[in-house]
Amino acid sequence: MSFLGKILYVTVLILNAIVVLSEDRFLARVNLTPATHNRSFGGPGGVDSSVKYNAIQLIASIRTLMRIPLIVINTLIIVYELVLG
Amino acid sequence: MQRPTYGQSPPLHHPVPQHVSTVPQLRSPPPLTSQPQGHGYDGSPYPQQQQQAPPGGNMFAQYGNFMNDPTAQIATQFGQTAFRQGQDYLEKNVNRLVNVSALKHYFNVTNSYVINKLFLVLFPWRHKPWTRRQASEVGAGGGQEAWFYLPPRDDINSPDMYIPVMSIVTYVFLRTLFAGFRGEFEPQLFGSVATIAIVMMILEILALRIGCYLLNISNQSQLLDLMAYSGYKFVGVIVTIAVSEIFNRGKGTGGWVGWTLFVYTCLANSLFLMRSLKYVLLPENNNTNQGPMQTMHPLDSRAKRSQRTQFLFAYSYPVQALLMWILCRP
Repeated sequence: MSFLGKILYVTVLILNAIVVLSEDRFLARVNLTPATHNRSFGGPGGVDSSVKYNAIQLIASIRTLMRIPLIVINTLIIVYELVLG
Repeated sequence: MQRPTYGQSPPLHHPVPQHVSTVPQLRSPPPLTSQPQGHGYDGSPYPQQQQQAPPGGNMFAQYGNFMNDPTAQIATQFGQTAFRQGQDYLEKNVNRLVNVSALKHYFNVTNSYVINKLFLVLFPWRHKPWTRRQASEVGAGGGQEAWFYLPPRDDINSPDMYIPVMSIVTYVFLRTLFAGFRGEFEPQLFGSVATIAIVMMILEILALRIGCYLLNISNQSQLLDLMAYSGYKFVGVIVTIAVSEIFNRGKGTGGWVGWTLFVYTCLANSLFLMRSLKYVLLPENNNTNQGPMQTMHPLDSRAKRSQRTQFLFAYSYPVQALLMWILCRP
């Protein structure tokens, strides 16, 4: 496999790893969802800009944004691996 | 009368149109063949061209006043309009993808700037003022002063993209040249070396962007600045691999000469990046307009500042050293 193919696989696998995290079983338990983070810090409407809050936002947005495209990409890669890999 | 060879050709017998053509007249002139093309052309859509040909004259009189032909004029106008529209479309789309006027700012360099900057990247220890020079411009509304950074032509501390682009190209050629000295040259080497270099830069910029997002650093034209700064390490890499290749007699980097050069260029590049990126990653005067949180809690701001400083250090020293080591490997 070429170098760029490896890079593509790494990217897809990392995105999969973020998307596959379960919201209520795992992320809520370690306070990494936006809801639990706001509740635990109790800031009503305050503009929070800590590193943890930004990371939480990043995870949440990747989960919502990349869920549907990743299904397509994963299917394509699986088919490619089955046929040509 | 520029083509006298067509004068000897026998007169062409165009077929008489048998029905009214509905094909529009926007077409290229007929092919310049000297053969009689009468046969097999029944029902040709060329009725007007034949009527304008002088009766009994030869063919090239028709070609001589080809530009006066109204259909040809329409065709040229149509072609020009289409071309212009295509150009506009292309320009618009390119401008949407990359900001061309912002990029031009980065290539506004002079010879003395390039030499001084190269010297600065390789020997940053004695350079004193690291801040970029700003110029102010009073806006059209009056009273509203707009600050902008001077282009690289006027300011040595300004990032440019000329040196990074040129050094990446030089790096790719140098690597393939050294492979050729060892007798291992393949044409694919250009592609693979360029891929590794560019992917390295993209990953580095991606990591920087994520760091900036996590640390809430926002700055104008930051991405282009970071792209420019991430390309300066190729200067050190080029010096390392070139000089160590000469001293090691074609055995690649290694030995005490190679490692000393690598450590030196790595430290120089790291110091240069740390000093230069300070204004990007540690903006000082932006604190007032970033929201009420930072002005209200100086403790919070101080903690954030130390986080940013650590991030800057981690980016400048270990990450750069790792990337330069990967690039210097044979």
